[in-house]
Amino acid sequence: MKIDKKEKAVVVIGSGPGGAQVAYQLTKQGIPVVLLEAGRRIMKEEYVNEEWPAFSQMAWLDKRTMTGNSRIVQDFNGLPTWLVKAVGGTATHWAGATPRFLDYEWKTKSTYGSVDGATLMDWPIDGKEMKPYYVKAEDAIGSTHRGGRPALPANNNYKVFAEGAKRNGYKFYATGPYGTNAAPYDGRPASVQDGFNFQGDKSGAKWNPNVSEIPKALASGKLELRENSQAVQITTDSSGKADGVLYMDTKTKALHRQEAKVICVAGNSIETPRLFLMSASARHPNGLANSSDQVGRNYMRHLTGSVYATFDKPVNFYRGETMAGFLADEVKHNPKRGFVGGYYLETLALGPSFLGAFLDPGRWGKKFADMMDGYQNMAGMWIVGEDMPQKNNRITLGSAKDAFGLPAPNVHFDDHPNDTAMRNHAYEKGEAIYKAVGAKQTYRVTPYPHTHNLGSMRMSAKAKDGVVDKHGRCHDVKNLFVSDGSVMTTGAACNPTLTITALAIRQGEYLAEQLKKGNV
Amino acid sequence: MKITRRELLISAGSLLAYSQLGSLANAEVNIAAQPGDQEMIASMCKALYPHDRFPMNIYMDIAAGAIKKGNADTGAKISFRAGLDGLKINSFDKMSFKKQTKYLNSIANTPFFGLVRGHTVVALYDHKEVHKIFGYQGASFDRGGYKDGEYNDLSWLPDPRIEEHPDLTAFLDDSSPKKYASLKTKKTF
Ligand SMILES: Cc1cc2nc3c(=O)[nH]c(=O)nc-3n(C[C@H](O)[C@H](O)[C@H](O)COP(=O)(O)OP(=O)(O)OC[C@H]3O[C@@H](n4cnc5c(N)ncnc54)[C@H](O)[C@@H]3O)c2cc1C
Repeated sequence: MKIDKKEKAVVVIGSGPGGAQVAYQLTKQGIPVVLLEAGRRIMKEEYVNEEWPAFSQMAWLDKRTMTGNSRIVQDFNGLPTWLVKAVGGTATHWAGATPRFLDYEWKTKSTYGSVDGATLMDWPIDGKEMKPYYVKAEDAIGSTHRGGRPALPANNNYKVFAEGAKRNGYKFYATGPYGTNAAPYDGRPASVQDGFNFQGDKSGAKWNPNVSEIPKALASGKLELRENSQAVQITTDSSGKADGVLYMDTKTKALHRQEAKVICVAGNSIETPRLFLMSASARHPNGLANSSDQVGRNYMRHLTGSVYATFDKPVNFYRGETMAGFLADEVKHNPKRGFVGGYYLETLALGPSFLGAFLDPGRWGKKFADMMDGYQNMAGMWIVGEDMPQKNNRITLGSAKDAFGLPAPNVHFDDHPNDTAMRNHAYEKGEAIYKAVGAKQTYRVTPYPHTHNLGSMRMSAKAKDGVVDKHGRCHDVKNLFVSDGSVMTTGAACNPTLTITALAIRQGEYLAEQLKKGNV
Repeated sequence: MKITRRELLISAGSLLAYSQLGSLANAEVNIAAQPGDQEMIASMCKALYPHDRFPMNIYMDIAAGAIKKGNADTGAKISFRAGLDGLKINSFDKMSFKKQTKYLNSIANTPFFGLVRGHTVVALYDHKEVHKIFGYQGASFDRGGYKDGEYNDLSWLPDPRIEEHPDLTAFLDDSSPKKYASLKTKKTF
């Protein structure tokens, strides 16, 4: 459908799991939506099964800078995050792990107490309220092991991981829950185990909005998807309400304006606060909806790290599903371990091209080469755990400019001592898993550029503590919503996309109701 | 372009460098154009990432790419020329591996080193011949993916359970904020 730029429309910015889901929920209820997406629509036939070309095809490469004590500052300064600029968002790249929050993870301040230097806070919603939305989200994504959907088979990397876990006395390992079909579901086929789900997945077995919510919303006739359309400013009227979006055609650089009655922003945790900060005006001098001074703060990226190991015999870990291996035994809060919160271990495989760049950035010499030389006999896992929100881990507008002359975002990230303690614990456990099945050499790998980007537009009960309320609606601007992972008050241990999806379904239903009642 | 040590040492440099591989300007004075220059750089690539299994022609390919980058602009040219000169004066290619490593450590802060290392780590492990030697088969979509018996052909360990443990739901559901708040947090940092 075509929507006039002068028409006061519902505008969604960003077509990742958050934005596409909200757009889909609204169009499903007959509400027309303009969806602005900075990237283009890459169809699955175009995906490239080679790591670097695929990365160049879809990664968000606009200028960003980074400061802080995180090793990424030295290793990947120009690339603090690993995000996608394309229809479907970063889920084009995502692996598919879909665990839920635990009940106390919605209430970390009450549960963990005060942690020095951390800005823990309880969410204004809880596990009970979210439960039905988790079920809907799992059904939307088609998570394996849930809703009667079957488990994916074990690949070689999982065999090593699961047996090592078992020999360490762990119980809670499985090949999911995982957002790639083990059997045909929702019009999409079963996995062909081609090993390239990070690169977009040519088969369509992997869920991402570009193969699900986007085509469904387009088929409803209520969606206008504008590709290559990057929002650069949200404008407000004399009453302080949002009334339009200025966006740029990234091909021609021409600036356009869409009139709006409601705006939902879902550009992920860097671009969403950046857009709010670029929308400062006389009425909102500190940035849009920022009377709390919380826009951009409490940015989280999960505690991450990897453990790789080489063995005497071949593994060929790159074959099959990239992350269909899961261990939950270490997820529970157990302060005796010397940190608050917990973590999952998940299988992970990289091709030689990425492994060379990420195994030990900056390193060279014989030990590194020997590790790479063991490629065929290698197994790998990823650590994902809760990291501490901190006031100064923060997105700001830096002095550098991007290619469009817009202020480039700066990402400041310091590891909290709790993050470091948890990571060291996880490294030891990960190595123990591989040693139990005969690892020859193990390798502790530092975090990759951030794939899980959270916080920065914090959800809070009170307006002074955060940016948005329990429905993702800005405390300061009532017709402005945030619909992505940046609303996360705290990040929990689990991979975020299932929760982003659940929150977006909930928000979409709420917003549709409010629109019908004329409350926005 | 001013090349700082940091910009060159970061792997991000090499990540972004990948996308620049094809777009190098036509240079008038080319450095590393003497006979033997490419071999010299190749010996440096090999000392950085030594693999006995890799034939020298792979390192020669990598050296050619590094030289191309060394000619990309004036800043790269002058640092590359100086770095190459250092290798020649010290007959780097004739040194023992141990001495080579020592020498590389001594120049590790130079833009020249950063350029060659950053390029090598990306280009070497992206090289098709290297993938073959590593036994990496890469794309399989056109033949229908990795088959049953391929993606799961590991036979030196027993076949594991793929379903969740029957106690998992109870384990995850037992997570009441109240109960977990009663666990005393002990400060260790
Ligand atoms: C390699 C990799 C593996 C991952 N694996 C997992 C996993 O196993 N499980 C999991 O839960 N998560 C995983 N993730 C994370 C997951 O991809 C993200 O959590 C998820 O995509 C976030 O959704 P989002 O909608 O918040 O943002 P995004 O998906 O990043 O979407 C934001 C979209 O907004 C667009 N945009 C930004 N700014 C603007 C603007 N100003 N105007 C218009 N459009 C704009 C962007 O181009 C993008 O398309 C992985 C990520 C990566 C990179």
